Amino acid sequence: MSHEHWVALRRRLIPYGLLGPGILWLILFFVVPLYFMGRLSLESGIFPEFRFDWTFSNYSDAFKAYDTQFFRAFQYSAVATIIGLLIAYPLAYAIAFRGGRWKNAMLLAVIAPFFTTYLIRTLAWETILSDNGFVVNTLQTLGLISSDGRLLATGPAVIAGLTYNFLPFMILPIYASLERMDASLVEAAKDLYSSSRQAFLKVTLPLSMPGVVAGTLLTFIPATGDYINAQFLGGAQQAMIGNVIQSLYLKQTDYPAAAALSFILMAVMLLIVFIYIRFAGSEALMGEEVPD
Amino acid sequence: MRLTQRAKALGLGIVALGAALALAACGGGGIEGGSGSENVETVKYQPPPSGDLTVSNWPLYIDKDTVPNFENATGIKVNYIEDVNDNQEFLAKMQPLLSKGQSGGRSIIVVTDWMAKKMHDLGYVQNLDKAGMPNVTANLRDDLQHPEFDPNRDFSVPWQSGMTGLIVNTQLAPNVRSINDLFDPQYKGKVEMLTEMRDTVPLVMKAEGIDPNKASEQQWLDTIDKLKSAVASGQIRRFTGNDYTRDMANGDVAAIIGWSGDAVQLQADNPNIEFRMPTEGCILWSDNMEIPVGAPNPTAAEAFMNYVYDPKNQAPLAAYNNYVTPVDGVKEVFQTSNPDLVNDPLIFPTDQFTSKCSTQPNITGEEEQTVTRAFEGVLNG
Repeated sequence: MSHEHWVALRRRLIPYGLLGPGILWLILFFVVPLYFMGRLSLESGIFPEFRFDWTFSNYSDAFKAYDTQFFRAFQYSAVATIIGLLIAYPLAYAIAFRGGRWKNAMLLAVIAPFFTTYLIRTLAWETILSDNGFVVNTLQTLGLISSDGRLLATGPAVIAGLTYNFLPFMILPIYASLERMDASLVEAAKDLYSSSRQAFLKVTLPLSMPGVVAGTLLTFIPATGDYINAQFLGGAQQAMIGNVIQSLYLKQTDYPAAAALSFILMAVMLLIVFIYIRFAGSEALMGEEVPD
Repeated sequence: MRLTQRAKALGLGIVALGAALALAACGGGGIEGGSGSENVETVKYQPPPSGDLTVSNWPLYIDKDTVPNFENATGIKVNYIEDVNDNQEFLAKMQPLLSKGQSGGRSIIVVTDWMAKKMHDLGYVQNLDKAGMPNVTANLRDDLQHPEFDPNRDFSVPWQSGMTGLIVNTQLAPNVRSINDLFDPQYKGKVEMLTEMRDTVPLVMKAEGIDPNKASEQQWLDTIDKLKSAVASGQIRRFTGNDYTRDMANGDVAAIIGWSGDAVQLQADNPNIEFRMPTEGCILWSDNMEIPVGAPNPTAAEAFMNYVYDPKNQAPLAAYNNYVTPVDGVKEVFQTSNPDLVNDPLIFPTDQFTSKCSTQPNITGEEEQTVTRAFEGVLNG
């Protein structure tokens, strides 16, 4: 084989070599477990003796039994995502365009909570929202909640926890897309007699859409499957689908139902993401060519 | 001799693995069960004890001196891990290993009565060689020697015992004395119960006048329904494990169902918190040490059990835990070491104090699955 052939062959093989570790990782830790879980979801019996016998009714039974927690999970997660977006966008905008020399410090402040573990951060909210804490007292004084009302062990507490815990995942992508935007585009828009509002709506916002789409997905997907916030900040009536799956796996050791429910969750999530991306446009996620 | 012990354990593991594989082949794969209780292995005590020992226990269940003192006394090196947080979760986590005859290096695991029995029924624990633990034979409290689930203490040795009853903030709920008081509307949203089904449901049954050890499946389900309506009306705030201690310390709840030892530790921070024996009695339980299948070095494991059953070694443990000590003779040691604890009814409950108490009911098979599903449905409403 000639030298040129070698070079050409190597050129063609390099991408596969680079993809190799990632693909191997995915096969080992995603595809293989997925296969076993799919199998498990079609088994029947009582722990620890399950038989594989194509029990498709696991799916319908599980969904019928836990539809409340299903819809609750999507509802909490959607509200948390919207609130997160409303908080994150102005913040990311401020850091990107008005941060000046404080930019890095502000970014660090956004990431800083990650230096503490997820669990501890959520437990801290237990104290913040406690019945005798200042948040509840303030809201009671303002008459926003009744004098014997509470926040902890309610739906709003769970949503507050979800919003807080996933906020950095919303801020960072939006910041990244705003940061790489060419500020002279806005100047150009203004030169062409657009108002600040028009410039924002027609130039800045569309260019930041990749960040918004990525941020909402990075928040919505994990928040829907989350169970920590509902466990610590919710009460007995705030269980999300993650809590149910955890209970089925670890408490009831009903592995088939747990596996079936996980698959339903995955399927619904894929569907929602698919529709969302179709709606927002796939360029929005991948990012359009930014003119230099 | 450690080598032969290891080789034997390895051999056992291979046999069990082979059996599991064969089962998997017939059954078409999936998760398969253990070998069943009919062919339970028995530990062989081969003195002198030496080598390494791994103990799996619940968090905050040991004082800081017991392990080093045991190591100094015996030369055994202990790896003490606190990875048991919940009986059912621990079984779910260990099952893939145990069903293959492996213990993941653990030689002692600590689980509550009903789980101790369940693991034995599944063939996941070994019978003990009593030659290795004369202190247990001599000092185990009389009332713990013949529990229904293990009449001769063949496979379980109590680590600590305890009572499940009321923990009350005397300022917020001075008059709560019965489990029924927890359903009083004046405490709406200020009441919590345990996620441990075998504590919460039997206590509520007792309040209804039902003997939990004779309850029918329907009575279990009816009691769970009562809890369900209490959740729906907002009476019960939530169900917790040990984390009720935070809600209690924050003053978010007034009265809960909780464990006796926790009450003492809470009281240290807030003198208004106390354990109250419910007027209808409590639930008595023990957490038991067991030697799982495939346990390396069971001789050292028995040496450890024997060590903590010496009253003078048990005393610091009991003083730390504030649970009911299963070892006779601790009171005498306390006369000099901890005179303030000698009359503590939570460490040394009198027969009169616990006269109305019940043990955790035994519930298995399909009934267990049905009832657990109903109860978990209330927890995750």
